[in-house]
Amino acid sequence: MTRFWAVRLGSIGLAVVAAFLIDQLSRGNDFTQRLVVLAALYVTLSVSLNLINGITGQFSMGHAAFYMVGAYTAAILTLFNPVLAAKNPLLWLLAMIVCGGLLAGIAGLLVGVPSLRLRGDYLAIVTLGFGEIVRIVANNVKFGEKGGSYGFSVDVRVTAVWLAWLFAFFAIAMCRNLLSTARGLTFLAVREDETASLAMGVNVTQTKVTAFVIGAALAGGAGAILAHFEGFASSNMFTMDVSFIIVTMVVLGGTGSITGSVVAAILLFFVPEKMRDLPDLPIGGITAFFIVIALLVAALRYVSQQYHGPAARKALLYAGVVLAGGVVATILGLILNSIPAVRATPLVEGAKLRMVVFAVTLIVLMLLRPQGIFGKSEFSWDWVRRLGRGGKAVTS
Amino acid sequence: MSLLQLKDATIRFGGLTAVNSVSFEINPGQLFGLIGPNGAGKTTCFNLITGVYKPTSGDILFEGQPIAGTPPNKIASRGICRTFQNIRLFKSMTVLENVVTAGFLRHKTGLLASLLYTPAVIRETEELEAEAMKLLRAVNLDHVAHVCSADLSYGMQRRLEIARAMATQPKLLLLDEPAAGMNPQEKQDLNGMVRNIREQFGLTVLLIEHDMRFVMSLCEQIVVLDHGEEIAQGGPEEIRNDPKVIAAYLGEPA
Repeated sequence: MTRFWAVRLGSIGLAVVAAFLIDQLSRGNDFTQRLVVLAALYVTLSVSLNLINGITGQFSMGHAAFYMVGAYTAAILTLFNPVLAAKNPLLWLLAMIVCGGLLAGIAGLLVGVPSLRLRGDYLAIVTLGFGEIVRIVANNVKFGEKGGSYGFSVDVRVTAVWLAWLFAFFAIAMCRNLLSTARGLTFLAVREDETASLAMGVNVTQTKVTAFVIGAALAGGAGAILAHFEGFASSNMFTMDVSFIIVTMVVLGGTGSITGSVVAAILLFFVPEKMRDLPDLPIGGITAFFIVIALLVAALRYVSQQYHGPAARKALLYAGVVLAGGVVATILGLILNSIPAVRATPLVEGAKLRMVVFAVTLIVLMLLRPQGIFGKSEFSWDWVRRLGRGGKAVTS
Repeated sequence: MSLLQLKDATIRFGGLTAVNSVSFEINPGQLFGLIGPNGAGKTTCFNLITGVYKPTSGDILFEGQPIAGTPPNKIASRGICRTFQNIRLFKSMTVLENVVTAGFLRHKTGLLASLLYTPAVIRETEELEAEAMKLLRAVNLDHVAHVCSADLSYGMQRRLEIARAMATQPKLLLLDEPAAGMNPQEKQDLNGMVRNIREQFGLTVLLIEHDMRFVMSLCEQIVVLDHGEEIAQGGPEEIRNDPKVIAAYLGEPA
């Protein structure tokens, strides 16, 4: 038991230290701070959706709705209790995380109970519809002059990067804890085979609803943090796009992998942001880039299907193909740009190009690794150790 | 008192009567066989007993209590567990995890405890794992406990299905064609294993099987179905010589 408490307190300590470190590092620049907070919220969202989509296998497409329920709960409660809220903003935010989570959880229950009888595509459509309904209802909620399509301003602003990250760590810990128990295995069992799960005594409907409620509640908590960080909550912050991006994060990271959800959330959030600084590019270079990408994908797929040698040599082969691709891209770009007609075309704005690059990256990743970056595997120290020894990683 | 009793169990799907007024009784500790040609309604019978289907008419009593129409998970917790004709393992899980999942039926800790991973939950998980290992030893799969279940050979997957069903600690174990696709040696091993499990865990077994030699050598009591009707019931010797059974399997003499 002493070992249990050592591990438990150690991990909590590590999470707290990490959260404060992130907070300290992001200080001084409002823009960076905003990015870091949003990244934490996206990590929470993708981890919580992973519990529903990945682990329990119920394809939900309306996660933004729960995020929104959390944000609106915080916004409206703050609107009606301005004095109480202003007294101790941090404490108020903590209370709002709980309230937002609770209300989003109830929303999850209300949607989950009837719709989780559906499977696959049907559930996706129902949750998609639910997301839109919530958004449109929120768009029409008004208290006097406040609300409606302008949304609500949240006058108690709390900039707590550490809290956002601590909450993300909390979400990760909940999912990991659950998966380490027999109860967590029943969630996976429901994903794998509902008929067999039932025959083994698993209450399938209850399991699905539980996953839905926990996932929704975590998203609701994130929503409350968002409302207090941004200082307002309006329905256009929670469009279908947000739901899609969260689904993309889960799928890209590897459906069912918590590690994958975290990594993909951070990647998908920061990469497009960083690409805002992309320089303006000539059309010849861009064409060359896309041609080479297509060739690269074909070559890498060929290698992965045809080559059955040792893993290390395969990795080397991959690296070689990618390097060759880079060289070909440069040469092709130079050749194309030497053609006067091509050179005469105007430059393409880098900032506009970023969404194209984003989409292409997704397509490429799905072609090369349809199971997502991490597949179904999780990060573990054991895994790192094996990797260090150069052995084949065997994951749970 | 009989452990399981079917009283005129009938189920119709539209115009098709899949199981028509089937009655039989299984006593505790019996090895009971359910046989019949393809499409005779054997698996449908299993689905009735395990609650996948609700009988159109008739009764199903387990330990004297009616169970017809009870959801499958409730029936499993009452003490009836099954394997599937077309293996249905939790493929992405390891062998051990498959068995532990089925043991969750007997859990005592709540959801909150699982989320917080309290010492009680850890202890419970460890206990379930220890029990699962014991079952894996009984079906001789303990050496592959941490292998992904999809990577097992066919015969091993069949045995894992039995171990998984055993983890629910059933009183009545239903095996749906456990020997399908096995070679003679594997069938013989399975025969020994089923007997062994019955002795070790004090089980009653109801099994569906096509392989006559396998059924005759294993079962003490046999019911024969054909086109949803019960055509014979008795010990292996009686069944072997029953003209109706011979006709059902080989056709009427010309």
